[in-house]
Amino acid sequence: MHGGSWNGEHGRQVGDQGMTSLRIDRLTKEFVTEQGEIVSALSDLSLEVGDSEFVCILGPSGCGKTTLLRIVAGLDQPTSGAVLIDGHPIDRPCPKLAMIFQEYSLYPWRSVLANVTFGLEMQGAAVARRQEVARKYLALVGLSDFASHYPYELSGGMRQRVAVARALAIEPAVLLMDEPFGALDAQTRNVMQMELLGIWEKTRKTILFVTHSVDEAVFLADRIVVLTKRPGKIREIVPVKKCPHPRDRTCRDFVEIRRHVLDLISEGSAD
Amino acid sequence: MKIVKILAAVTCCVVLLALAGCVASTPPVQSGTTVGILYTGFGTMPTLMATKQIDGYIAWQPFVEVAPMAGFGKVLSYTGDLPPDAVWKNHPCCVLAAREDLMARSPDLVNAVTAATILSTRYVNEHQEESGAIVADWLAGKGNFTYGNISVSSVDAMTRAIYTVKFTNEPTDAWENGILKFMAAQRDLGVLKGPLSNSTDDASKALIFDTGPYRAAIQMLEGKRLVTPAPETRQLGIGYLMSDHDTALFVAVKKWQYFNDTYGIALKPRDPTQSKPDLVDLLVNGQKVAEIKLVPGEFGGPLMQLASTDTIQFVLVGNPPAMASIDKGNPVKILMALNTEGSGVVVSSDAPASDWPSFLQWAKERSDAGKPLRIASPGKGSIQDILLSYTLKSSGVTVKEVQV
Amino acid sequence: MRRLSLAFPLLILLAWAAGAYLINNEFILPRLESVAGVLLDPLADRLGTGSLVENALRSIERVGMGFLLAAAVAIPLGIAMARFRRLNDLLDSTIQILRPIPPLAWLPLSLAWFKIGLTSILFIIFLGAFFPILLNTIDGVRGVKRTWIEVASTLGARERQILFRVILPGAAPTIWTGLRVGFGIAWMCVVAAEMLPGTTSGLGYLIMYAFNFGQIQLIIAGMILIGLIGLMIDTLFRKIEAKRFAWRELER
Repeated sequence: MHGGSWNGEHGRQVGDQGMTSLRIDRLTKEFVTEQGEIVSALSDLSLEVGDSEFVCILGPSGCGKTTLLRIVAGLDQPTSGAVLIDGHPIDRPCPKLAMIFQEYSLYPWRSVLANVTFGLEMQGAAVARRQEVARKYLALVGLSDFASHYPYELSGGMRQRVAVARALAIEPAVLLMDEPFGALDAQTRNVMQMELLGIWEKTRKTILFVTHSVDEAVFLADRIVVLTKRPGKIREIVPVKKCPHPRDRTCRDFVEIRRHVLDLISEGSAD
Repeated sequence: MKIVKILAAVTCCVVLLALAGCVASTPPVQSGTTVGILYTGFGTMPTLMATKQIDGYIAWQPFVEVAPMAGFGKVLSYTGDLPPDAVWKNHPCCVLAAREDLMARSPDLVNAVTAATILSTRYVNEHQEESGAIVADWLAGKGNFTYGNISVSSVDAMTRAIYTVKFTNEPTDAWENGILKFMAAQRDLGVLKGPLSNSTDDASKALIFDTGPYRAAIQMLEGKRLVTPAPETRQLGIGYLMSDHDTALFVAVKKWQYFNDTYGIALKPRDPTQSKPDLVDLLVNGQKVAEIKLVPGEFGGPLMQLASTDTIQFVLVGNPPAMASIDKGNPVKILMALNTEGSGVVVSSDAPASDWPSFLQWAKERSDAGKPLRIASPGKGSIQDILLSYTLKSSGVTVKEVQV
Repeated sequence: MRRLSLAFPLLILLAWAAGAYLINNEFILPRLESVAGVLLDPLADRLGTGSLVENALRSIERVGMGFLLAAAVAIPLGIAMARFRRLNDLLDSTIQILRPIPPLAWLPLSLAWFKIGLTSILFIIFLGAFFPILLNTIDGVRGVKRTWIEVASTLGARERQILFRVILPGAAPTIWTGLRVGFGIAWMCVVAAEMLPGTTSGLGYLIMYAFNFGQIQLIIAGMILIGLIGLMIDTLFRKIEAKRFAWRELER
């Protein structure tokens, strides 16, 4: 279990100006297996994420992309290297970064509204204020009518929208998303992708989005960071700025970029 | 192969069980009469009688009297009448015992309790019917006992029973010797393994009796001068049996006002509305001297156990459990008698026996037929157990414990 | 469903009435009417021990106290054991050894340690309730999804907040089941506990007293009452579970 420290080094400084820098500096992560072997998950990975950028991290299974995201979130520690936000190293969860997990993240004993107010509750905000903020973000994700519903009454897509609203409610600088649409069916997934882009447009958060779907990455990202197989290193960073949002999956640039990324992935897997 | 092994193992088990069963079901042939004794509390006896799982039982009053009253048995013999006559007439029964450390520390207090009991015993003898009603109140809230579909008034049962109990306190020579007879019987039965197993009569008496408090109490009562003991800071305890042998205690508590006014000594219940008060104050000459809790027990053994852990300091109990406990090192002494006789043997209503000789005849017939009689007795090592076992043995009967 | 669960007891009552009539020996099977007679007069004094109602209340009081004590110890201990591996390893084997021992077997020790009185009774009841609550608490806490805890971390919760806002609510349904089972066992222990000398009230005491005098109708009436009270309380637990912990069932 990790607690978060609300005070101290992560006080708002650079962020006050609305500009956030996220830097991953020579990150290495090694595990020791039960048999005593040393497994390298990430190796000497460096990346700079710009303010309000939408970066997708893409790679074959087991390439360490989730590990990378968890280290950025402060849930795991690197073996060497560091992640810095606004110049300060991240060693534990911090209010500037909010994470959205793939599934089972909503608290089933709390209503939708109570889920969204959770972070503000932890901060000690007054009831009235947190409800106000929560309702604002619920409206943003289009679930105003479901404030007093319970998670079990919602579909998968709706639950993830609540998760997004909950993350946004603490007004982080960066959203970390770990295959958030992976458990949804294809239709819902597409809808959610569009919605996410809408939210991103309105809130201008920096987003670090992990996925193993090439299509999803090309559809969403400003840049795609393609990782190699374990140990994860950056194979190539593919910019997708050419195509304006909303992207047409059939347009030539889209298809080209997608093919290129697919090649990168399959080469990586063949090794 | 595995299956073969399993089958072999199972077959072995079955064969062994069958053999065991055979052995159990054909007991070795006895030359002579055998009677089985089953140890159980009185609570099961009426049912066992009615379902013919036992042919009779021995118990203390009032459990003897309720049988003919409720119709599930008839009285074969009161224990005082059991043979050999000279042995069991006026046989000692329950006694008042106390812890030695209390006697050393607060002799006046022990004397006072003894005196209160003596006064109460006298009252019982002079007011038998009233005392019977008091016992009925104490033991049963004056309610009814229902056996089968017959209801018996507890007041009726207790007042009938009380006439068969002889209440006396004096530790006469005859009485002391009577207790030694029980000790001898206990030795025969192998119950005593400590110093009492082979002590001389004088040594035994020294080990189990201390009649000092009795004599001091008598002296106080005769001189009509009660010594007020120093107040006791600790809560004390008196253990007793749910039997009308302990009537003296019940009367002392229920008639506390009378004893207080007449003699200046009383066991005053904290809550007089309780049917069986569990907390009393010992008053001497108008002063509260001690707080005493009254602890009922089912058998003598557990009560003696409580005395050995100093949870209670006085016990009203049968003499055999007291002696057995002293033999094991329990630091208590027997102070005086509470009653003699007061138990009886009950047999089924349709039994072909109405006295001891016909009972023996019946026992022989049943034994020969391979279905020996079964008599229930409360508590192994209790007076009833010893009386029954000893009487049967001295009549030439082999006694075997019935395993359930 | 409801009707079915009422039907069977009614069937049993009918069988009882018929059986008693046929057997015609109250020692073997008391008549339904005589036992019913005892139950339908719950305020009457029974053999000087007080009425059924008084004794029932005394027993409920005692079980309640012992149960609350057990919960007060078992729940925090369970949380700690689930949280701290070393503590769990330290205590686990001891708990596994103690658990199967029937509370009744502790009677002599309880008497020796706590003397006559309420404490020795509460000890027995405590033992009955303790293990189900402890084990279910450990299970419940362990079953709290890691994601829930990590979400809380990333949303800024401190360790103490996580305990009270995520772990306890998440583990609550399992803990509640432990409480329900624990209370059931504690209620069973009432009879055993009230056998201790020095007890002068309670349903267990009443039954033992009736047993000593061979009063079968009273024994059976006492048994039925114990069963009914146990049922009522269990139902209460279940109702609360259905209302507040429905989410556990409906979780996908």
